[in-house]
Amino acid sequence: MNPPDARSRPIIEVKNIRKEYPIGDETVVALKRINLNVMRGEICCIFGTSGSGKSTLLNQLAGMEKPTRGDVLIGGVPISRLNENQLASFRQRHLGFVFQSYNLLPNLTATENVAMPLLFRGVPKAQREAAARKLLCRVGLSHRLDHFPRQMSGGQQQRAGIARAFIARPDVVFADEPTGNLDSKTTVEIMDMICTFARDYHQTIILVTHDPEMAAYADRIVTLIDGEIVSNQVNNKEKARHGT
Amino acid sequence: MQKKDLLRICLQNLMRRRSRTFLTVLGVLIGCCSIVIMVSLGIGMKETQEKLLAEMGDLTIITVSPPQNGKGKVKLDDALVKRLHNMSGVVGVSPKQSLEAESIRILSGTGNRYVADWTSVVGMDTDQMEQLGYRIINGTTVKHSGDIIIGEFLAYSFKDTLRPEGRNMIDRWAGELDENGKPAELPAPYLDPLKSTLTLEITTESGTIKYPVKPVGSTKEDYSKGYETSEGIIMSLTDLRKLLDKIQGPKKKKLPYNSVVVKVSSIDRVADVEQEIKAMGYVTESMESIRKPMEKEARQKQMMLGGLGAISLFVAALGITNTMIMSISERTREIGIMKALGCYVSDVRIMFLAEAGAIGLIGGVIGCVISFLASVIINLVSIGLSPENIPAAILGGENINRVSVIPPWLLLFAIVFSVLIGLGSGYYPANKAVQIPALEAIKSE
Repeated sequence: MNPPDARSRPIIEVKNIRKEYPIGDETVVALKRINLNVMRGEICCIFGTSGSGKSTLLNQLAGMEKPTRGDVLIGGVPISRLNENQLASFRQRHLGFVFQSYNLLPNLTATENVAMPLLFRGVPKAQREAAARKLLCRVGLSHRLDHFPRQMSGGQQQRAGIARAFIARPDVVFADEPTGNLDSKTTVEIMDMICTFARDYHQTIILVTHDPEMAAYADRIVTLIDGEIVSNQVNNKEKARHGT
Repeated sequence: MQKKDLLRICLQNLMRRRSRTFLTVLGVLIGCCSIVIMVSLGIGMKETQEKLLAEMGDLTIITVSPPQNGKGKVKLDDALVKRLHNMSGVVGVSPKQSLEAESIRILSGTGNRYVADWTSVVGMDTDQMEQLGYRIINGTTVKHSGDIIIGEFLAYSFKDTLRPEGRNMIDRWAGELDENGKPAELPAPYLDPLKSTLTLEITTESGTIKYPVKPVGSTKEDYSKGYETSEGIIMSLTDLRKLLDKIQGPKKKKLPYNSVVVKVSSIDRVADVEQEIKAMGYVTESMESIRKPMEKEARQKQMMLGGLGAISLFVAALGITNTMIMSISERTREIGIMKALGCYVSDVRIMFLAEAGAIGLIGGVIGCVISFLASVIINLVSIGLSPENIPAAILGGENINRVSVIPPWLLLFAIVFSVLIGLGSGYYPANKAVQIPALEAIKSE
């Protein structure tokens, strides 16, 4: 997993991927020819309007879908070529997700939800729930440990979602419009939280958004239009934050 | 994922949709009950039948007769008796010869007051009686010449000649009959032949002779062994030969035996031994010819009843499949999330199979408990509703005919079958669940 040149090598390498969807008799090209490298520890924003192909790109990166052509390598592993089981075990060890609609399981408590990635790995109940409680306290939900998702506000749910994404200490966390359903105050809290976690553990974040304000948090902004990368630039954060 | 966790999640999911789970379990439960009760009725039927047959006669006796139309070489003689003795599975053999005459009367009492107008006299190897399974219920077996053994109900053949005709006999069937169609209480006969001296009055073409005999014992009635065990007389072959010589004069020599009785060691050897004797050219007869078709019929009925029960369990299986498909379509997103977070495909499959299997198991176990109770109640109703009959209703007994019999294997089978039905009906939904892509998690609502 970690070859000697791990530091110099990009954690995510996207090589010439193309994604087509058959719709009826026609073929829609969602991604044309994407090449992209993301370094370890980077917060990378995939920015684009709706229909630009940014979600499709995220799906390819996270191994949710197989590209029509090309390869996606994470830490050197060609995840676009793994089978279901290899992918599952790869996700357990290396990937985390933050979803727009939080996606906590409704019948599990906050603690159980956060502990879920460890559950799939076979970590015993007491151990994984202790870890989950610790992390929930860190995201400020110490008073919501045994609450069900429906008993929590959107912001609280998303904080639990973040705890869940980071509990297994993944190399890469994918965040798909993580604040899309939240108000602006909560958005700032959530984004700060994601960035803090990422810095603390030297983790890579792939942030998908259509919101320029969000993009401001990123180290690198990749802009997509009609399935093509039109710009890929390092972000000057100070300017972005105070400029608006 | 750890097995403990899989089990916990499975139970959690079942508890989540309590009413749906309950209804599905109810379906399995009814199916399981109907199978168990139906089959138990079939088994009860068979058990009753076998008891009935055993009462009618010894199931391990084969009667060998000469071939109907062949004089030939196959004869019932001492050579055959010897051969039968040496056959494997045979535990006792005796030739039988009956006394044939125009009339055989038995006289007894002072001035021959008591007369039996007709009886049958059979000579046999009295030393083999015990091995053949004749049960001497009173007195002893034949020890001296002139000793005889009488049938259980010979006493009722006598009439009292001092009473008016038509009212001078005692009918042992006159009283009330019990549930097996036997007289519940036997009326007292005019005399006890075991305590009297009897004289046989035998009339043939060549005249009438009188022959005194001394009854020493009586046998239990057994149709498979012959009428003589009921209302006849058994004497030793030597005595019978002597008697025949007296009647016919010494000119004719040794008639062949009328039949040979063979006792086989166990019921399942009967068919083989019978087949072997038949192959030798003899005609055979045994309760097997009654038992076989009865057993076959009982088995057919049992299968039919079980089949009816199985249908309801299969309907329940459809219920499980339906429930599982519904819960999977409701949980599509959840399954997607779990996969996105790294849940193994095999764990997803096991999770859903376990849910379906658990429905089967719960239904099966509760179904078995209920059918057991139902069976006890059915039996209690048939035996008589009282608390002291409960053990008999569960375990049965010598003289108890249970309507419904549940052997332990039936309960075990029902539970295993229910679980298999559960797993079987969960198979298709589980595969559907496995195919749900992780992508479902990302789709916005």
